[in-house]
Parts: sequence; C-alpha cells; structure tokens
Amino acid sequence: MAFVNRLRGFVVIGLLPALVLYLVFVLVPIVWSVYYGFYDWKGIGAASFTGLDNYAEALRDPIFWRALKNNLIIVAASILGQLPIALVLSLILRKSTLFHRFVRSAVFMPMVVSTVVIGMIWGYIYHPQIGILNVILQNIGLGSWIRDWLGDARINMYSVSAPVIWANIGPYLIIFISAIQNIPSEMEDAAKLDGAVRAKWLYLIVIPMIWDTIKVAIVLCISGSLKAFDLIYIMTGGGPAQSTELLATYMYNNTFEVFRYGYGSAVSSLIIVISLILVLGSQLLMRKRGI
Amino acid sequence: MNLISPESLTEKTFRRPLSTRRRKSGWLWGLDTALLVYALATIYPLLWLFISSFKSVRDFSANPFALPSVWQFENYTRAWEIAGIGRAFANSVIVTLGSLALTLILGTLTGYILSRLDFRFKGVIMGLFVLGMLIPIHSTLVPLFIMMKNLHILDTYASLILPYAAFELPVAIFIVAAYLTSVPKELEEAAMIDGNGYWGIFCRIIMPLAVPAMATISILGFLRFWNDFAFALVFINDQSLKTLPLSLSIFSDGYGTDYSLTMAAMSIAVIPTVIVYLIFQEQIMKGMVAGAVKG
Repeated sequence: MAFVNRLRGFVVIGLLPALVLYLVFVLVPIVWSVYYGFYDWKGIGAASFTGLDNYAEALRDPIFWRALKNNLIIVAASILGQLPIALVLSLILRKSTLFHRFVRSAVFMPMVVSTVVIGMIWGYIYHPQIGILNVILQNIGLGSWIRDWLGDARINMYSVSAPVIWANIGPYLIIFISAIQNIPSEMEDAAKLDGAVRAKWLYLIVIPMIWDTIKVAIVLCISGSLKAFDLIYIMTGGGPAQSTELLATYMYNNTFEVFRYGYGSAVSSLIIVISLILVLGSQLLMRKRGI
Repeated sequence: MNLISPESLTEKTFRRPLSTRRRKSGWLWGLDTALLVYALATIYPLLWLFISSFKSVRDFSANPFALPSVWQFENYTRAWEIAGIGRAFANSVIVTLGSLALTLILGTLTGYILSRLDFRFKGVIMGLFVLGMLIPIHSTLVPLFIMMKNLHILDTYASLILPYAAFELPVAIFIVAAYLTSVPKELEEAAMIDGNGYWGIFCRIIMPLAVPAMATISILGFLRFWNDFAFALVFINDQSLKTLPLSLSIFSDGYGTDYSLTMAAMSIAVIPTVIVYLIFQEQIMKGMVAGAVKG
C-alpha cells in the first residue's frame, strides 16, 4: 500500500508542473479566446458582452474571406509546390552517398534560419529598386518581366509563396526518403523482374506504399500555411491594401494595431475551427485512396 | 493520422556505407549536375547574405552579385554596437537557455512518467499533450497576451520563457517517450530492489540514460526559441528586452536603411544556427521530422 502511495505521490508531483504550465499557456488560452470573442473590448476599460456579433462581423468582412483565400493559396502552393519537388528529389536522393547527403543538407538548410531573416532576404530579392531578381531579369534580357513583386496586388500572393515553398521542402524530403526506404527491397526487385518500367513502379508501388506518409505531409502543409504569418508579416505586413492579408495577420492587425481584443479573439477561434476543418476534410477526401 | 516516430527514420536514412561504385552513364552525370545546381540555388540566398554583409553600402548597390571589393569586417562591430545587436544577442541567449532548461527538466520528467508508469488518467493526460500539437500557435497570441498582461509578466523574460517551454513540451515528451521504449524495464526494477524510490530511479537511472534524447530536445528547442518571432513580437515591447529576430524586424521595410549594417546584423543572428546545423545535421533532420506534426 505504501508502495502505491509512493507511486501516486511521484506521479502527482512529477506531472503537476508540466501539466499546469501546459494547461495555462496552451489549452486555457484557446478556451479564453472563444470566451473573449463574445465581448467587445479595447484592452482597457469595461468589456461589453455582444454575443456572436464579433463572429458574425468577421464572417461578413470581405477582408476576412480574402485572408482565408490567401491562406488557401499558401496551402495550394505548399501541396502543389513542396510535395512534388520533395517526392521527386526523394526518389533521386535515396542513396546515402556523400553527394546525396550534401544535396539533402542544402535543401534542409533554410529550415534552421529565422523566418525573419528569410523574409528580409526575400524582401531584398524582390525589392523594386535594389532587388536582385529584377537585376537578373534585366541582365538576361527579360526586362519586360520586371515588376514590383511585393507591391503589385495581382501577383504578390504568388511572390510570397515562393519563399514559403523554398524554405520548407527539407522536412518533406526527409520524410519521403525514410518512407521509401521502408518499402521492402524485394518489391522493387520483383517489379524489375516483371519488366515493369520505372514510371509504373513509381505509380503502382511507391505511391501506394507511402500514401500514409503523403497524407501526413498534406496535413503538415495545411497546418504550415497557418504559420506563414512570420514570413508574410516581415515581407509585406499583409499589405499593400491588405492584398496579402492572412488570417493570422488579419487577427494580429485587428488586435494589436487597432486594439480590438474581442474581435481578434473571435478571429483566433475561427482560425482554430478552420484549421481543424481543413485537416479533417483533407483526411476524409483522401481516405478513399488509402490502402 | 499516424505520427512519425523517430524509429521510422532509420539510421540508413542518414548514414549508409557509400554505395558500391558503378560507372556512371552520361544521363546520371546530367542528373547530378542538375541536383548540384538545385542545391546551390537553395543555399544561394544565404551565401548572398553572408557575402553582402562584408560590403560597403555603395559596393552592395553597385555590384550585388560580386564578392566584396573591400572586405568590411567593421560592419559586424558597427552592427553589434550601433544597432544594439549585442543587447539583442544577450537577450536571445538568456531566453533560449531559460526555455531550454525548463523544457528539459519538465519534458524528461513528464515523458518518463507518461511512458513508464501506470496510473489513472494517463490516457487523458497523454491525449491533452497530443491535442496541443494540432493547435495553430498563432491563434493563442491574443488570449496569451491578455492573460500575461493580467499576470503582469508582459515585457519580462518570463513572458517568452514560459510559453516557449509550454509549446515545446509535447515534442519533448514525445521524444523522451520514444527514446525510453528502447530501455529495458529490468533496469528500473533492479534499482527499486536496491532501495531506490521513484525520484532516485529518475535521477540516477533515467536521466543519465535519456541524455541522447535530451540532446535532441535541446538542439530542436535551441532552433525554435532562437528563431521565434511571433511571440517576441507580441509579448515584448521594451527595447532592452528585444530578442534578435525582433530587433532585426525593425530593418525589414528595406527602405532608407543601412544595408550593410542590416546584412551584418542578420548574419550575426543566423551564424549560431548555421553552426549548430552543420554540427548536428542528422539529429536535427530526424528530430524536426519527428516533431514536425507539431511544427
């Protein structure tokens, strides 16, 4: 009996600090953001209960929908940009030669650099006057392509997608390589004996065998897009004229620039709901093809 | 959704004896050249940053792609002093070390308890920690800000250290739990027969054994804490408490600033992470992928 009590004492005292820290700083804020969302509050003074007004206002605001659309552009860019590149590279870079390891390291490198620095570097690349992209275009005779990459509202969402893709291929590459290496080598040998061509081998064996991994990668792309905040905040701040607004920059600007804490909280709650819908929806869509 | 466990990233993903050499066909040479170009294109923006950080402003504008005509090492000393990068560097060190210490202690203890001991509500508690991995960090900024304002810890080191550690806990617990599956339970039983209590077992058996797992947590935590921007942006206002990414962001509009100073300041922020990366790449790749579900 004393033994059981000792276990209980250890478990309670051992778990308590981590659990309290985690609950207070991760889980409770989510509940609170739903709660604050029901109030009109400027951060100081009295908060007045307004029910679902904030939520309704967000859903009526065209900027909110534009931000959501921009988030979806980032999701699409990630899924259609990062995953195919990572998949192709993983098929080529399966061997652990020195050269292949070098290429993997290079592709992974941007992952360890602060998004602030990445955003600033790409800001210099796209800069209308000193930007090296325009200098390159000028030098190779494509002067007509020169433009204000971050200022032109028709193209700037695509401009900001490029660094998002560039910086995040590494992890998917490593995930795919390890998934491919877990395919029993007999399957590749068998495919060769049967005379299956490489493309068929890829389509009939590799893709189905790593389908679960691809599903995880798609979920990561979706949740990653909701984190693109840092990069885009640094490059454009959501502008010009809110053309590159994301849900997170929309939330940030409403809360900390115009001090509408209640409204910002409501948007935060909507971000959680939207991300859960996207993740669950993508899983349901892909279930049919699972093996 | 299946989580990617560190075990699925087999050792051969990263290290395998050089494959038996075969004569390369022309096609393969072409492929390797393309790979090399791709790899260089990927790291070029970073190389460009380092090279530019040694240029004078005039040199930078006149020859954006060339090597510096004169290597201006004083850009670094100027950035350190004028731009207050020294202060920011010290803040980043303090915040990163504080968060790491908290993450390591709590993560290892919790990971041990949740993976090795049996008790009621274990599944619920584990579930809570997994749930946290699905939550977009940015959606907690507003309520966290309000809460910390009420607790009067905004604009202190604690306003970064506490949430950093809290958000890193699931990853740390996950890594420790995965690592301990490879440790035989007999070790703990033997220690218990020798008269050790649970604390004794934790301190004398588990902690020393879990050092490799703790190393992985430290490296990943270092990169996350050192590079974080969103939390620092919202929770820190006081100039003297700004971390490196936050102080750099002041230069980010790119107009009318001293480019070479900015480039040097950015390099000062990046160099520690690049060094850590070059030393621990394999561990970083494995760990980041394992913790990627949280991201």
